[in-house]
Amino acid sequence: MLSTGRQNKKSLKLNDGVESRFGYALIAPLLLLIVVFIFFPAIFSFAISLFYYNPFGHQIHFAGISNYAEVLHSSLFALAVLNVMYYTAVVVTLQTILAFSLAMLFNFRFRITRMSRALVFIPAITSPVALSIIFIWVFSRQGMVNYFLSMVGVQPINFFFSTTFAFPAIMAMNIFSTAPYFMVMYLAGLQAIPPHILEAASLDGIRSGWKRFRYIYAPMLSFTTFLVVVLGVIGSMQLFDQVFVITGGGPANATYVPLIYIYNRAFIYFGTLGVSSAASFILFTVIMAVTLLQRKYLKELRWA
Amino acid sequence: MEILNVMKKRQKKNRTGRMAGDQNSVILSIGRVKKVAIQLLMILAVVIYVLPFYWMMLKMFRTSIFAHFPPNLNPLSGTSLSNFAQNLGSVWSFGSFPRWYFNSIFVTLVVLFSSVIVGSLAGYAFARLNFRGREMIFYTVLGTLMIPFPVVSVASYVFMLDIGWLSTYQGIIIPEIASALNVFLFRQYFLTIPKEVEEAAKLDGLNPFQIFTKISAPMAKPAFAASFIYTFIGSWNNFLWPLMVIHSKSLYTLPLVLNFFKGVNGVQIYWNEMMTVVFLTLLPTLIIYAIFERYFVEGISFTGLKG
Repeated sequence: MLSTGRQNKKSLKLNDGVESRFGYALIAPLLLLIVVFIFFPAIFSFAISLFYYNPFGHQIHFAGISNYAEVLHSSLFALAVLNVMYYTAVVVTLQTILAFSLAMLFNFRFRITRMSRALVFIPAITSPVALSIIFIWVFSRQGMVNYFLSMVGVQPINFFFSTTFAFPAIMAMNIFSTAPYFMVMYLAGLQAIPPHILEAASLDGIRSGWKRFRYIYAPMLSFTTFLVVVLGVIGSMQLFDQVFVITGGGPANATYVPLIYIYNRAFIYFGTLGVSSAASFILFTVIMAVTLLQRKYLKELRWA
Repeated sequence: MEILNVMKKRQKKNRTGRMAGDQNSVILSIGRVKKVAIQLLMILAVVIYVLPFYWMMLKMFRTSIFAHFPPNLNPLSGTSLSNFAQNLGSVWSFGSFPRWYFNSIFVTLVVLFSSVIVGSLAGYAFARLNFRGREMIFYTVLGTLMIPFPVVSVASYVFMLDIGWLSTYQGIIIPEIASALNVFLFRQYFLTIPKEVEEAAKLDGLNPFQIFTKISAPMAKPAFAASFIYTFIGSWNNFLWPLMVIHSKSLYTLPLVLNFFKGVNGVQIYWNEMMTVVFLTLLPTLIIYAIFERYFVEGISFTGLKG
């Protein structure tokens, strides 16, 4: 741009030099922070994964790929990956459906709509730790869920102490609290649909809810759905706060996920930072692969 | 300068125009029965979503530490302001609670202002200023969104250990400042401001710095508001990084306090006091949310993503 516009912009030539320097000055703080606190740790992290490293005993020696081998042979890590995949499949599916349904509901304009929507959104801005604590009560023996279950004659369940129910309870909590966030994305998508399309479709006999969903909303919101699913998957694979606060990975590893493994290897068993870093890289690769696969799928549908 | 006013008016017109479009999104007529049914569904959704928070609020006004079965959802039974004062008193004198509250506020404020300033400057440069390598640098910055924080967290922790920043304010704050999301948000917004405005200012003899501070930044208020609220929520609720980097109780931020308070009496959670802590943690978020709610939704729609 600098070279092409030079002739017409002779009067501004002096300014352009200033502009370029000003540009570098404005991005300098950002670049400094990104290089020092993101790029450097990313590279450093890869380096650590190749070493046996104990920063407290000042022991360090080259380990090659043995850290990776240890992670890949660990049955605990395998369990963590399986758990998080199961979690991701259930949570992303259900939260996407719930987000879409909520958006359809709150797309109707009444006097109460704005206020209701704002209230429903509160869990999405609440600290995950605070939310986890509230949900410890919701799913406790004396909690709300057991109260409703008792109305239909079900014996009280101690959700978070049960290997069967602990993980589904965490899933339910996260579906409940993340759906409103994605609802807003769907609302933006719904409002981008020109009203005349619905009117025209109605003249063509597309009036029932199902038909409208099938022929109008589903195709027109496909890009929004793609975003909601990708962001949902990336978020779900990084599940940590809620599990750490509520169950710590238990009972009997029923809620054990990769980030708990990474955290424990780094902070509970000191001296295994290399293993921890290797596990983070494996997780990173899995997240990247899933994202790229979804992108490919997107390209095939000619959205990108 | 006159161009500026015209542009401002045009922006306003667009905004009201868009809102009129919103109103029209109830298309086709719906019957009265359906209208009532839809509103009842909305109320049902609100009740389900608010119920856990409602119980939390009631618990703050009660004295019993236990969660009773069946849950007592009657707002008038067992609640009183003096109970609340008592719970508040015991929470406030627990450990170094005022210091912890201050820590959270201080960390969030510093992260907030640094991140918004750094992000808006860079976003403006990427949108408007010509310099060599601009696109390449921008996409590299955007690429960092693909690196999940946990991947670099262990290495960042070791880095903090090496430079002696473990259990320090700068150790919590500085690694949190760089936000590719803020940069992206500002760049997208600055791109929507017509270039002619700045060119006119340039002809008026303003230098690039004056153009940014006097013309462009004031026009980007919605972007500032949106990035303000995202950064606030991200920093205020952050748990994993403080958990790794803070090993001294005096530097705890509220999410760490919540986790600590949960286990402080062994298996038994003192629910009345616990919910008071939860409420105190939530309060600033709710205030900010009440003020910026509109921009929050707008921010989601014009970036389409959040970290």
